[in-house]
Amino acid sequence: MQRIFYIIQKEFRQIFRDPAMIGVLFVVPFIQIVLLGNAITTDVKNVTVVFTDLDRTPMSRDFLQRFTHTPYFIPVGVEEDYTALPEWLDYGRARIAIVVPEHFQRDIIRGDRPAVQLLVDGIDGNSAGVALSYLSHIAQEHQAQVIALEPQLGRPLRTVRLASTETRFWFNPEMESKVYIVPGIVALILLIITVFLTSMGIVREKEIGTLEQLMVTPIRAWQLILGKILPFSILGFLEITVAMGFVYLIFGIGVEGSILLLFFESAVFVLTTLGIGIFISTISETQQQALFVGWFFMIFAILLSGFFIPIANMPDAIQYLTYLNPLRYYLVVLREIYLKGTPLHLLIPETLAMMAFGVGVFGMAVLRYRRILK
Amino acid sequence: MDALISVEHFSKSYGSQKAVQDLSFEIRGGELFGLIGPDGAGKTTTMRTLVTLLRPDSGTMHVQGFDVSKDIRNIRSITGYMPQRFSLYPDLSVDQNLRFFADLFAVPKKELAARLERLYHFSRLQPFANRLAGRLSGGMKQKLALSCTLIHNPVLLVLDEPTTGVDPVSRNEFWNILRELRAQGVTIIVSTPYMDEALFCDRIVIMHEGRALAQGTPAALIEQMQLPMYALRDSDVVMRFAVIEQTPGVVSVQTFGDTLHITAEIGTDEASLTRSIAAALGHDVVLEPIAPSLEDVFISLIEKETRHAT
Repeated sequence: MQRIFYIIQKEFRQIFRDPAMIGVLFVVPFIQIVLLGNAITTDVKNVTVVFTDLDRTPMSRDFLQRFTHTPYFIPVGVEEDYTALPEWLDYGRARIAIVVPEHFQRDIIRGDRPAVQLLVDGIDGNSAGVALSYLSHIAQEHQAQVIALEPQLGRPLRTVRLASTETRFWFNPEMESKVYIVPGIVALILLIITVFLTSMGIVREKEIGTLEQLMVTPIRAWQLILGKILPFSILGFLEITVAMGFVYLIFGIGVEGSILLLFFESAVFVLTTLGIGIFISTISETQQQALFVGWFFMIFAILLSGFFIPIANMPDAIQYLTYLNPLRYYLVVLREIYLKGTPLHLLIPETLAMMAFGVGVFGMAVLRYRRILK
Repeated sequence: MDALISVEHFSKSYGSQKAVQDLSFEIRGGELFGLIGPDGAGKTTTMRTLVTLLRPDSGTMHVQGFDVSKDIRNIRSITGYMPQRFSLYPDLSVDQNLRFFADLFAVPKKELAARLERLYHFSRLQPFANRLAGRLSGGMKQKLALSCTLIHNPVLLVLDEPTTGVDPVSRNEFWNILRELRAQGVTIIVSTPYMDEALFCDRIVIMHEGRALAQGTPAALIEQMQLPMYALRDSDVVMRFAVIEQTPGVVSVQTFGDTLHITAEIGTDEASLTRSIAAALGHDVVLEPIAPSLEDVFISLIEKETRHAT
C-alpha cells in the first residue's frame, strides 16, 4: 500500500521538478478559457451583404435599410446590375447577395408575394443557415410593419398573419455560444490532462528503461498503475477547479448545480480517459507515438461529442456513433449541472453510460497493461 | 555443492531467432561469475531471465532454491539487476533516486541512513547527492545505478555490461567496487564483451551465438587450451598471413598490430614449424613461443565451433 504513495511522491517530484510546471498549471487553463471561450463562437455576426435594388421604392429601401441596423450584417456594397453580384461571392467580398425584384412595393400593396432573391455563400453551411434565419426574421419584421400600414392602404392584404410567436431562451437568454462552449472547455481540459499525461507518463518509463527497473522491485502491477494514474487524476481535478474559477471570473458563469455532483460525474468520466491513457501506453513505445495516438483519439472524441457541432445536426449514422463516445455524455452532464443546476436523478442515463464505459475501458486497459508487464 | 544459482538446459527463442540454447551452469555463493561473449551471444537474455523479466522456453533456473518462473517476487526481493542501459530517473536527484528505490524495496527507515552512507562511501557520490541523475558523467551514472541495485542488500547482483562505454579510470574503479562487494559476500554475475575484464572473474562461461563454448576459471581455460602458440614479430609478413595459414601444422593466425599470433597443431615442434613457414614465405622467420591469452582461447574456441558447424 505504501508503495503506491512512494510512486505518487516520485511522480509529483518529477512533475514539479520544473518550476514552470506550476505556471503551466494555472496559465494554460486561463488561456484556454479566455481564447477558446471567446473565439469558438457559433454566433453569426458581421455577415457581409451586397444589394441590388431593382425596385427603388420607399418600401424596398426600407426593407434593405433593416440590414444596416443589426450587428449581424454589414452592407458592403450596392450593385445596379444584379449580374455583377456573383462576382462578390466568388471573390469572397460578400457572403450574401440580396436582389429586391422590380415591382416589390406594388406587389406587396396588391397582396401578391414578391420573391426576394438571396444568393448565399454556403461553404460554411452552419453559419449560412443561421444567417438565413436572421434574414427571414428581418423579412418577417418588415412584413409585420407593412401589415400595420393596412388602414392607410385602405384595403385588406391577402397575407394576414393570424399568430406570431414570441421566443424566450432559457438558461442562455442572450443565446451566446460562449455560455454553451465554456463548460465544454472545462471538459476538454480534464480530457486532455488525463489522457495525455497518463499515456505519456507511463510510456516515458518504458522509453528511459525505468519500467524494467521498477519491475525487478517487489512492486505489484496494480500498485504501479495506481501510483501512475492517481497523480494525473489529482492534477486533472486541480486543473478543472482552477478552470472553473477562471470561467466565473472572466465570464461570470458560475456552477448552477451541485459542485460535488459535478466532481462525482467527472470522476466517473475520468475512469474512461485514464483507461484510454493506459491503453495508449500499451501500444506505444515512445512518447511521440503516445502523443500521436492520443491526438488521433482526441479529434474523434471532440468532433463527435457535440462540443462544436450539435449532434442533432449530424447524419443519422454518425449520431448513432456518438453514443459510443463517452465525452458526449460528459458534455451533456457538465452543461446540465453547470448551466441548469440539474440534479443527479435526471442525469442517471448519462451517468450509467459513463460508468459502463469507464469500467469497461479501464478494466480492459489494466488487464492489457498487466499482461505486458508479465 | 551448495550452488546459489543453478541454470539447467536453459533455452530461449524470440520467434525463430534462437537467443540461448541449452545453457547450463552453476554459481556458488560469493562468486564473481562472468558471462563472456560478443554481442548477440545471449548474455542479456540469460540475465533478464535470471531476474524474472523473461521466462525460459525450456530448462530451469533457480536462485537460492527459488524457481525463476514461479517464485518471481521472492527472487526480485533478493536480487539486484542493473541493465545495460542507464535506467534511472534523469529528472530526479541522486539522493531522490536512491531513496525511491529504498522505499520500493521497503528498506526500514531506521537502516536507511546507514545504508545510504555506506553506498555514498564506496561510490563517492556524496558530493553529488543533490545533482540530477541525468547530469552525471557516464562513470558516475553507473555507480549510481549500482548503488540503487544494492540498496536492499541483495544476495545476488546481476550486472549487464556495466562497464561498456565507461572510461578506463571509471572502469577500474568499478571493478574495485565489485571486488569489495564480493569480499562482503555478495554473489555477482557480470557480463562483458572484454576479455581483460573476464580475467577479474572467479569463473566464467564463454558464450557465442547462444551457446556456452567453455566454462571454468580463466586460468584453467587458458591451461586447457594446450595449443602451442607462437608470436611472429615481423611487420613485413603481416599482410601475408593467409600464406602462413595455409602452411601445414598451422591451425589459425591472428594479427595483433605488427605481430602475428600463430596457433599450431598439438604435437607440432617449433623447429619444423619454423622451417615450414620459412619455406612458405621464402625467407627466414623467428618464432617466439608465447602463452595463449584468454582472447586466444576465445578465438580458437569460436573457430573450433564454426569448423564443427561446417
